[in-house]
Parts: sequence; C-alpha cells; structure tokens
Amino acid sequence: MALGEVNTSMPPSRITYPQLLETNALIQQLTDESYWLCVTRTVQESKLFPVSPYMLLSYFMAFYRYPELVRKVDRHLPAEQIGDRMRNMGIKCANPAMGWGLPSFYLLGREYMINLGLLRPQDALDDLIDVMDFWKRFQLGWHRNDGHLANSNYGHRAQILPERRLQVFHADMYECRHGDALHNAAQAFMAAASQYGFLISCESRISLCNSGPYKLSDTREMIVRDYMDLSESDFPWLDEVARDLPYNNLTVPMVVEGCHIYLMDDWGSFESEPEFKSHHMVGVGLYTSDTLSEGYLPVAMGSREELTNALTDLTGKIKLATSRLWKRIAGWTRDQMIDAGAITYFAIAKDIAHVAGCYEVEDWMMVDERAERFRPLLNDEYANALLGELVGTMTNPSQRMSEYSMMMHADTPTRMYSHIPYAVLDGGDFTRTVGPLRPGASHLAPKQDRYTTSQGVLSLAEYNRRAREFTPEVCGPRFRHLCETWLKYHHRSPLAHELYCLEQRHSRKLAGRGAGLSRADIEGLRDRAVD
Amino acid sequence: MVEAFHSAVKDLVRQRFAAAGGDWASFVFEGAQKISAQDFAAIDRRILELGHRYEWSAQVSVAERPAAYKPAQGLTDDLTNFSFEHAEAIVAPVDAEGWEQRGVGDNVVPFDAMLVGTARYVRSSAMVLDYLTRGVPSGTIAIIDDSGGTLTAPILEQFKGVLCAGGTVRSHLGILTREYGIPCFMNAKISGIREGDTVRLETTARAKTAEAYQQGREMIARVWRLAK
Repeated sequence: MALGEVNTSMPPSRITYPQLLETNALIQQLTDESYWLCVTRTVQESKLFPVSPYMLLSYFMAFYRYPELVRKVDRHLPAEQIGDRMRNMGIKCANPAMGWGLPSFYLLGREYMINLGLLRPQDALDDLIDVMDFWKRFQLGWHRNDGHLANSNYGHRAQILPERRLQVFHADMYECRHGDALHNAAQAFMAAASQYGFLISCESRISLCNSGPYKLSDTREMIVRDYMDLSESDFPWLDEVARDLPYNNLTVPMVVEGCHIYLMDDWGSFESEPEFKSHHMVGVGLYTSDTLSEGYLPVAMGSREELTNALTDLTGKIKLATSRLWKRIAGWTRDQMIDAGAITYFAIAKDIAHVAGCYEVEDWMMVDERAERFRPLLNDEYANALLGELVGTMTNPSQRMSEYSMMMHADTPTRMYSHIPYAVLDGGDFTRTVGPLRPGASHLAPKQDRYTTSQGVLSLAEYNRRAREFTPEVCGPRFRHLCETWLKYHHRSPLAHELYCLEQRHSRKLAGRGAGLSRADIEGLRDRAVD
Repeated sequence: MVEAFHSAVKDLVRQRFAAAGGDWASFVFEGAQKISAQDFAAIDRRILELGHRYEWSAQVSVAERPAAYKPAQGLTDDLTNFSFEHAEAIVAPVDAEGWEQRGVGDNVVPFDAMLVGTARYVRSSAMVLDYLTRGVPSGTIAIIDDSGGTLTAPILEQFKGVLCAGGTVRSHLGILTREYGIPCFMNAKISGIREGDTVRLETTARAKTAEAYQQGREMIARVWRLAK
C-alpha cells in the first residue's frame, strides 16, 4: 500500500504540481523572513518566564492543532473574508499574529518534529497545504489595498487601511507637542500599555502591533498602533485582574514629524530615521474596535481635554492591572508559566475564530495531549540551544543545504523550513494529516465566562452568536468589493458617498462629508490649537 | 545538548518503529503517538545521571528543580560580594576625575548628558517584590541580566537608568525604556560593579542601529565606576 493511501477516510489525492510549487514558495518566503526577523529584531529572554521552553511547546501545539482549527474557521468564514474584516479593526489578526505567527509556528513545529525523527518532509501534506493556503488567502485579503502578501514583500511597509479610514484618523486626531498635557498623557499611556502588553503575553510582543506608515505631508507620517487583549477576554490569567479595563483593544493613530518610518516588519515593529523619540510625536487619536464593532469607534475623541483625561485614566488602570497581574504570575509554578506562554504563542491567531464566531476555550486555551508529552524534554538549556539552532544558526540536519546554496540574508547553505519533496507526486509516499483535535489540558485556573467586547461583557456563547450574525456594513455585499481602484473612478457616485459616510458616522470632523476630499482638504479641516 | 537529546529521541523512535512492525505511514501519527511523557522523562533522567546539570534561564526552573540545574548565584538579598563579570568587559584605569571604566554597552537612545546614579542589582522576583513594597530608592541605576520586559514590569518606571547584561536595543527592555524615556544600555559587558557603587553611563553615545547588529559592527557606549 502506498503511504498516501493509508488514511482511507480522506478524499482522493488533490495534491498537484502547481499546488506544491506555490506551497513551497510560501514556505521559502517564511524561511527568508523568519531568519531576518529572528536575527535582527530581538533576543527574547526572561528570568521570569521559561521563554524558550514555552516557545517549543507552542510549536508542537501549532503543528498538531492549526490544520484542524483553520479548517474549522474556514468553514464558518473563509480566510479572505476574515482578511477583509481585518482592514476595519485592530484585533489580534494582524501582525505578528497572522502576518508571521500562524504559518511560522506551524512550520517551526514541523521542522522540530523532523529533527526529532518523528516526521518526514512529506508527512502531513494536507495539513501543510491547508495552513499555507489559509494564510495566503487571509494575507491577500488583509493586504488588499497595498497589494502585497506581507510587509516583507513591500520592503517592510504595511499600508493596510483604506483612504476613508485614514481620512477620519487624520482629520480627528489632536495636535500635541513634547511637554504638553496631551503629549505627556499619550506617552505615559503608550509606555504603560506596551509594558502591560509584554506581561499579558508572557514576555512576547504579540499584544502590540504597528502598521503604516501613511504619508500626511512632506514632513509628517502616520503610524497606527494597536494594543490588543487588554481586558478580561480570552486569557484566563486576566480574569479579575483586568476587570477595570473597559476596552479589550485600543488603537492609537500617531503622527510623527521629522522622522521617516523606513521599516515596518511582519512582527509589527518599526524603525525610523532619525531614531524615533517622543518629541517626534505631534498628533494622536484613540479608538477601540473588535469583531462586533462597525469598524473603529472613537474613545474620548470629543475634545483634547477629554482625550487627555481618558488616556491618564487608562494609564492608571493599566498600571494597577500590571501590578496585580505581575503578583499573580510571580506566584506561578514553572508548568503554569510554560502553559501561559505556550498558549499565548499558540493562540496568537485565535481571533480568526472570534471573527468567524466559532471560538472555543478547548480549541485555543489548552495544551494538546500530543504536545504535552514533550514537556519533560524542555529544560532551559536544551530549549535555549535548540531554539538558537532552529531560528538562528540553522544547524539542524534538516536545515542544511547543498554547499553551493546561499540563503537570503545569511549567505549560508541553510533553509529554516523544509520544502515538500516533489517526488510525492510520483510515488504517493506521503501522509496526509495528523488527524482531528485531541483533548487538551492546562495547569492554569479555568477561564471565567466573561468576554469584554464593544457590546459589553458577554458570555462566550453569546459572543459567538453575535459574531456569527454580524457583518460590518462595509464588509457586506453592497460595499465589500468597492476597493480603492473602484473609488478612484467613482468617488462622485452616490454609492461612494454612502460608503464614506458609513466610515465617517462617528467622526468629529468628517461626519456626512462623504467621498472626494483630498488630503489637503482634510488637513484644512483639522483642529490646530495645542496646549 | 541538542544532539544528545535528539539522538536519544531518534533512538527511541527507531526502536518503537521497529517494534511496531508496520510501515511508516501507519506509525507516524499512531504508533509514534504512544511515545509518552514517561519516555521523554527517562531521556532527561539519563542526561542528569551522567552528571550534567542544566544552565538555567528562568529562576523558577532552578527553584523547582535545584538538583537538575547549576546553582543560582546573586539572587538572594545578600549582594555584598556579587558583581557581573563579563569576560569581554572593556576596562581602563582611573582618570583624573576618579572615574574608572568598567565596561561598555549598546545605547538604546542618546541623551544630551551623561547619567550618574547608584548601581543596584535587580535579578529576581523577590527583589522586585521588595522594591514594589518599599519603593525604589531615588537615583537607582538598575543592573539587570534579563532583557525582557516582565521581571521588572511593576517598578521599571522608577529607575533612573538601566544597565542590562543581555539582549539588544530591540529587546523588550530596550523598547520599554525607550518608551518611558529611561536611559538604558543593553548587551552591557561590565565587570567589578558592586551593589551601591556610583556609576556613570555614556548616554550621549549614538544608539546602536539595526544595521550594526546585522553586520556585527560594534557601536559601544562606556560605563564607569567612581573609584573607591
């Protein structure tokens, strides 16, 4: 019996040469970018969390569970439509979640398994193809406006948002200057929220995401910064300690002057020339959004004073939550820390299930039993060394290439993630899938049934029900395909006016103005005064 | 370490595959699944029985399994005789003003003036909890070997400056100190700085760039101790 025929419950082979070519190209893109990100962007370590052990555990979890989970989500709402939704909100479907995390964690798990002798590159092919295909369709939908698969393909840039949303951010934001009350409040908020984000995410940066830049003038650019999963929602460790935080996601559009953002990577972090300092920030706004909101909703954007006070109030609440959460975490066992970290990583893309209305705690907040068995291997030294080999030196046997090879960014004969061998098309010597989800468990406290949303605190069943029944108007059948190219030629049409008015309905400056405004028009409508 | 573990796991897989007697396809997601946590724990035990003790990176690891990890030093309240001793610390004799160079680091953000303060090691959650309870003394330049942003999360804002013995300027601690406007050196290679020493940081130096890291090019800022 050929290996590919083992699982008789599967449909006949649908694997084709073009499919393998595309999948391998996607794998290679992630190989190139993952190496660059891992080597140049950070050295992630912690004396508090066993970071490398939890990362490795999360890779096993991703390998065993992502294929079934993305199929489940895809059945409820196709990946490209989730990508469409993501252009209208700042939730954890952006970077680094979908731009890098989902496919890379899966591929890292696969590569790890290959080097343990538990897998061959031609095993679990349906799983691999499905994960890569889901990722590609999501990315293309999400990046529809800039026309790239990922930030890396755009020279590290992320121009995700449509003009109508950029105009609202641009028009409504308040000017600020280093040392004034709003600037101080915004800076304090962003520092506290960033720190809280690292703590929520067990030392990872996945609660934060920057996108852009967008050009506002010859000297000004705008970046959009999302802070995600701040309140009681999916993570059990935020139950009670984060109850005072009224928003689960906050988005800060921020204008920088005299500072060019020349790099926005697929982890959602940026570089600028000259080095960004707080005095470069000259404008700021504040919004919230989620699966149930009609796009971005302004938070305290009625006046400069209201915004200043709201940022100060949120900073105080975040600091209190930080202190409470830190004390909780400091009392955890190693297993609890590893679970929380691994779940944070594994669940990096969990919000796709919220958008689709099929989120389940058992799917995303548990360690699969097939992954759990590897825990005794994951001491600190081995985990650090293996991670360094897996994403840095690429010295694992599966990662070595012909001596003639020169990997992108490294010039070494290496490849982080193994390609699928094309010979599977000839002999059928491959396997299809790891199979359905198996039970999982966690050492953490059970999740309380409280989910902070833009429609209040909901039970999960209610949250899922509302998500399934909800389609943002701009993503509905009338407007979904009205892209920037269509608008270029139809901006005077009633339909374009209606679409822009939808986006402008909560705007202080643009409500009811519709389409056809230029960037200069928007600039002319802005509030000018600073403190 | 990686080779030792992976060789042991591969041996185990080979044995179980041979014992199963079928083909790979019938083994890979069923038979291999029977390799259990107990099997992996046995590999861990064998490594330790050979006399190896693991390097630790998270305190909880060594705290829960002290027999499996190398001993932790400098984590208790008694820091009288403790100092980071980096083999590549660049040192220089005492100058005319009494400053003795004791190392270098990667500057996160340049400031207009040098920074002077009191060195205090912050290395454990117990130390953080203590500072959280009593408050961080003013003028503290925290010496930390954790480039993460979580260990010192509740007290970071109270530091006058940070000397971090790990990471890069893009590490989480570097990002946070930049956001808080706290002077910080990452990847600090220092020697002989003790608890309570007066230290000076060359915070006027250029920030280390992403290109410098990628090209392996040094962009260093100096660290001095006031001679006793």
